[in-house]
Amino acid sequence: MTKTWNETLYDAWGQRHDIDKVYFELDTGHQQLMIFHNALFGRVMVLDGVVQTTEKDEFIYHEMLTHVPILAHGKAKRVLIIGGGDGGILREVCRHQSIEHVTQVEIDKAVIDMAIEYLPNHSAGAYNDPRANIVIDDGCRFVAQCQEKFDIIISDSTDPIGPGEVLFTSQFYSDCKRCLNDGGIMVTQNGVVFMQLDEVKTTAKRMANTFQDVHFYSAAVPTYVGGIMTFAWSTDNKALRHLDANTVRERFKASGIKTRYYNPDIHVASFALPQYVLEAIGKADNS
Amino acid sequence: MAVATASSGLFTDVLFDEGKTRAIVEQHGSPLLLLDCDKLADQYRQLSAALPGVGLYYAVKAFPHAAIVNTLNRLGAGFDIASTGEINLLRKQKVNPRNTIHTHPIKKDKDIRDALRFGCSTFVVDNPAEIAKFRQYSHRVGLLLRVAFRSPDCSVDLSKKFGCSPEEVPALLKAANQLGLHVKGLSFHVGSQSTSPGTHVAAIEACSRLIAEYEVPIRILDIGGGFPVDYDHAGDIDIQAFCAPIRAALAKLPEHVEVIAEPGRYLIAPAAAAITTVVGKALRGDQPWYYLDDGVYGMFSGRIYDHARYPLHVFRTGPQRPSALVGPTCDSIDVIEEALDLPELEVGDLVVGRMMGAYTAATATTFNSLPIPRIVVFNEPGRD
Repeated sequence: MTKTWNETLYDAWGQRHDIDKVYFELDTGHQQLMIFHNALFGRVMVLDGVVQTTEKDEFIYHEMLTHVPILAHGKAKRVLIIGGGDGGILREVCRHQSIEHVTQVEIDKAVIDMAIEYLPNHSAGAYNDPRANIVIDDGCRFVAQCQEKFDIIISDSTDPIGPGEVLFTSQFYSDCKRCLNDGGIMVTQNGVVFMQLDEVKTTAKRMANTFQDVHFYSAAVPTYVGGIMTFAWSTDNKALRHLDANTVRERFKASGIKTRYYNPDIHVASFALPQYVLEAIGKADNS
Repeated sequence: MAVATASSGLFTDVLFDEGKTRAIVEQHGSPLLLLDCDKLADQYRQLSAALPGVGLYYAVKAFPHAAIVNTLNRLGAGFDIASTGEINLLRKQKVNPRNTIHTHPIKKDKDIRDALRFGCSTFVVDNPAEIAKFRQYSHRVGLLLRVAFRSPDCSVDLSKKFGCSPEEVPALLKAANQLGLHVKGLSFHVGSQSTSPGTHVAAIEACSRLIAEYEVPIRILDIGGGFPVDYDHAGDIDIQAFCAPIRAALAKLPEHVEVIAEPGRYLIAPAAAAITTVVGKALRGDQPWYYLDDGVYGMFSGRIYDHARYPLHVFRTGPQRPSALVGPTCDSIDVIEEALDLPELEVGDLVVGRMMGAYTAATATTFNSLPIPRIVVFNEPGRD
């Protein structure tokens, strides 16, 4: 009999994975983590019944959450990653030779160790990069006490229902703002908007208290099922969201990085939100 | 928790044999609650046979215990949960969250989030304020709307505290729909220890009409619990006969409707027994009073909260007279039986209570800093 895993994110509908082999299973009594192999998606990591990342489609998420803010900024030297224990964001950040320093704050060292062992291609050696400073701490507490400044902050968290809940609070956003240099950008994963429209509404409202320009950009990640995934975008420099494709093209070329999803045209187009999302966040258009 | 070796006929044979009962006490102490997983499995099979095609969701609150969850999980049962503590118990036994329903009609936001995080996405509601709590989780949940049907013949009437009236159903369905919420079923709970299936039948018929009248398909009918056990004689209720009218009523439901139930007492009450010891005796007026090492603050808590009288027996014969059986605490309410006909007992005698699985250990306290009695598990599947 085929062993299957069913995602429990939505009551009436969801994705199913055939399990070829279980590599890792951890049940703390409070949360359940599993890494298994699926024929289509390779190694799949699930937490509390929800897909966190898979080998086959992680590049879409990690490239978009990293390259869009770094290339939009243009002069970013220092990056702060909150969460992201699987190492995928760190890998993409480290591809930019122009980045001089990256701090990653992960609450659970076990997640990093487990990802290095079972999802080695996510970090692809990035945890050994001399520019990387890995801090094991609560991301919320870290930004509340942090005295350093960064050009980009990337929040790569779990969903707001679960351990990542505090990373969707007004307090967290305003603490992050304090840790940003002038003209800095904060981006966060913000769920699949068709399925979780309220998350976009809540984030937009909370970020608007802190940042002058709050918007979302999007990408479709197959195992974040239900349509496009949105990434929250917040900065005080509205122009960064309206770069022309040529500017992005030049910067992308100068970076020398190779990508599989991201390209400058996708970059520019990803800020074009569908009408129902604009309506949810109280905007008339994408300007 | 202690695990005992298999002991067949625990409640029919062993506990009527003083030597065998004393052997259990010598091994595990007194007071004790004995849990027989074989009897539990038997009750599950009986009710499954009496309600074919009905998904049985054990009401964990009746006796939240790992061995019970394990036994029922292996049999394919689902679980009716009402708190995060119950969720944590199910997590430890690796219960598939999709086989669980959260049935508490009133929840804090954290309760909802904890259940969603576990993977339980079915929730019971019965009022507009509760429905509104789910607006932000709209796609993640499927709701059961609890309807109240008053039952005059239940020992515990649950339709007073929970459930909307049948007349309110259309408006509540509409309100949920406007918030983008999916009401996938109706539920009712006629109350505890239903003495006749009439209320179940009337409720099924009323729900069937409500389902037919609503334009959006409703695919679940949760007929709750209330399936009775025989406390008076500790015998087996003819559950086939009791459920016959219910089966007939269910057969008339629209074909797309899936039926589930939330039995607690029926499954677990006959699967546990208590052993206590007489620790003191006195003559108060004309009446003998026997002081046991457990009472209504312990395993006999259902005497107060559940209005249950458990069948008790002792191992002495002789002329009987009305006697009081009381618990070990300093409180005067700690009375198990005020005037039970008993032979003369001596300090050290054992008193056995049967039918003590439902709402006994579940509601026991540590009043007087007395520990909750030890639970000894017999015949747990997967253990030798």
